[in-house]
Amino acid sequence: MELDLATLAELFGRSFSLWWAILPGIALGLVVGVLPGFSPQNTLIILLPVTLAMDTEAALAFMISLYCANHLSGGIPAILVNIPGSGGAAATCIDGYQMTKKGQAQQALVLSFVASVAGGLITSVAVLALLPFLAQLGLVLRSVEMVVIILFGLTLIAVLAAKDMLKGLIGGMFGLMLGAIGTDTVYSTPRATFGFLELYDGLPLVPVLIGLFAISEALVMLEERFTGTPPAQSRAAQWKDTVEGLWMCVKYWWQITWTAFLGLVVGVIPGAGAYIASFVAYQQSRLFSKTPELYGTGHPPGVIAPESANNGVTSGTLVPTMAIGVPGGSTAAVMMIVLQYQGITVGPRLFQESPAIAYGVFVMMTVAYIFMIPMVMPLARYASRVVTVPVHYIVPLILALTVVGAFADREYVFDMVLALVFGVIGYIAVKSNYHVTSILIGVLLGPIFERYLLRSLRIGQGDIMVLFSSPIANVLWALLVISVVLPIWRERRLARTAA
Amino acid sequence: MTFGTTTLTRRSIGAAALGAGLAAMRPAAAQSGFPSRNFRVVIPTGQGGGADRLARSFDDGWTKHLNGRQFEYEFFPGAAGQVGYELFVSRRDADAHHLLFGNMGPEMIMYALQRPRFRFPEDLTYFCRIDVDDSCVFVRANSPFRRIEDVVAEAKRRPLNVATSRIPHPASIGILALGEHQNARFNLVPYGGGNPTLVAVLNGEADIGVLPIALAVQQGERMRTLGVFNRENILAAKTDNAPPINAVFGSNIPDLYSSRAWAIHTRAIDRYPDRFRVLEETSARVFDDPAFRDAYDKQGLPIETIRYGNRATCTEYALGMIDLANRYRAQLSAQR
Repeated sequence: MELDLATLAELFGRSFSLWWAILPGIALGLVVGVLPGFSPQNTLIILLPVTLAMDTEAALAFMISLYCANHLSGGIPAILVNIPGSGGAAATCIDGYQMTKKGQAQQALVLSFVASVAGGLITSVAVLALLPFLAQLGLVLRSVEMVVIILFGLTLIAVLAAKDMLKGLIGGMFGLMLGAIGTDTVYSTPRATFGFLELYDGLPLVPVLIGLFAISEALVMLEERFTGTPPAQSRAAQWKDTVEGLWMCVKYWWQITWTAFLGLVVGVIPGAGAYIASFVAYQQSRLFSKTPELYGTGHPPGVIAPESANNGVTSGTLVPTMAIGVPGGSTAAVMMIVLQYQGITVGPRLFQESPAIAYGVFVMMTVAYIFMIPMVMPLARYASRVVTVPVHYIVPLILALTVVGAFADREYVFDMVLALVFGVIGYIAVKSNYHVTSILIGVLLGPIFERYLLRSLRIGQGDIMVLFSSPIANVLWALLVISVVLPIWRERRLARTAA
Repeated sequence: MTFGTTTLTRRSIGAAALGAGLAAMRPAAAQSGFPSRNFRVVIPTGQGGGADRLARSFDDGWTKHLNGRQFEYEFFPGAAGQVGYELFVSRRDADAHHLLFGNMGPEMIMYALQRPRFRFPEDLTYFCRIDVDDSCVFVRANSPFRRIEDVVAEAKRRPLNVATSRIPHPASIGILALGEHQNARFNLVPYGGGNPTLVAVLNGEADIGVLPIALAVQQGERMRTLGVFNRENILAAKTDNAPPINAVFGSNIPDLYSSRAWAIHTRAIDRYPDRFRVLEETSARVFDDPAFRDAYDKQGLPIETIRYGNRATCTEYALGMIDLANRYRAQLSAQR
């Protein structure tokens, strides 16, 4: 799997020459990412006849650009209207939307774009340099380690609950209970589905996301309009805000770097999603911050951490796909179909037989992120104007787009109803000061946590000590304990100093 | 020769004969006007999975015989296929333009164990089997287990962790039956799909794996197949002559394999027998098309596993799987 500089230079040259496939891929990815319910894998499936007709490298360039841009733009609605475009952008809502409320929408968007592009660039270059090592990493992290990694994300519930622990924990527990809906992962026995076929595969993410965030937010906006409550601060975007956002990114370069690597590591693990990476990154970012109390109030690192990690996942997901022939996620699985249809079998032999394809994938990803810089920066200025659109226009638009989005993912009318039900749940939660993100974390991470926990327990043949049987897992357990105890200790020390 | 006002000449008779001859040569589809639109296919597993890839490699050849009509796929994974099947039977029109492409083995086991809201074969009929993919036992290349006998010997000392795609799966039945015959203990760990199962064996989380053999063979030198649950190993040359497990242990485990097949509403067969005949005839013809074998090979699948099966073969196999699942219900289901 060695790669010399001459080959690398040639690969970069070839990738830049594919600009005609990369630019439409980015444009489409940006649009699809903004719309909740439209995933990159669905889009690629729809466009399969097009990609199969293209030559292999052009098809790959198109698919990769679409995939990366999709991860980037999911943060746009999360920041502007508190609606994550995908599960991976859910953590961005926590501080991103608060920045918008403070009149810093454009800075938040710039933070999100720069963190995403930088995270994607750093990790795709890192993959080129460390591919043999990373390919092994995916094999080292097993179910037991995954249990602990997901627990890092779940502890975020407690972090969000800091202001009102009881309500926060109730919200998180409610989310975990909702996450248990669906068939069990061992025997495929349906649980709590109330006889609805549509719930057998668990609560669908998109309607839940749309309901909890988008519809509830639209209802709050409507209520504020009719009760005369002043709306969130909004002002016309200025170029200096873009510059200010860029400066913030320079200031937080280290944050971008390490959260991108965290995303890369999570992405390398087959089956682990972007939302695990973004929630864990947010939680870790807060943990190591000198000002953890600012998180949740519109703090820039709260936007940087999830966005950078979310895009670090993109290159990570393709590592197992290319290196061991096992897709790291559903988008990677669709890419595999196209490659195999073109007669290319992914796996270790690909690096000997077609290095231009094997390494080319990561070079294309790097090039796609480079192309994204000039494409998305002006977007920050214009996209941020959404917040100045009057409520009586924006609310119907949100409702129409999101309800269609709820339907689009699985094409069930049931999902539209579900989105409305979760909209009401979200509205009640917001009005009674329950954190909807706590509920969402439970819904998102609960089923994956259960899957890995049950798998680990089966591997341990019922012995719970299996959870402490691996050195890597034990190190992670120790870090988890530190991450839970440290904030409590820090808070007590501050209280004592203040006293 | 005249009939009323119409005069039949030798030339006109010749032209009519030529026309009739050409009509006979047209695809059956063109003659019946079916299909009149594209097909919509339910796949009860995820996008990019084995069924998705196989269906696509088949439909290129099939579409040529169906007036060029395309196949549009919908994916409804969940509950071991139950979601896709129930949705197909209850919410898709029985008009022969709606089809299902599934993996008969595991999905008929699901049918037996989970008692879904449809009846087989009353509501659904498989009519074109694509492949016979034997269940096998495999290990990673550097595993201490060199032969299937080593696996059984170790499983008599301690329970071995066995990675499997799903517990309700022919390969899982095979390893449980082997354990029962040899008094060996196998602990099934479901990974929810072929790819994660392969990873679990590769990273050593599970001691051994059981899957359809094509997936193990696709991994090349990184995996070693130790035995197959069938009376002969059709991929002997690609698996270092891995033996049939029955031949090694003198057991009588039934042939266990996965078989992907096209299915249709049984009501559609009753209502539109001519349409069904077109589908049956044209699908069988795809197997003679070298382009299909080429597409299959491109997917990295061993072409030896391609094996056409008609409606009767499919039904016999599916009913056999239901019987087998009922025999192993206690081990395969949470309902004791």
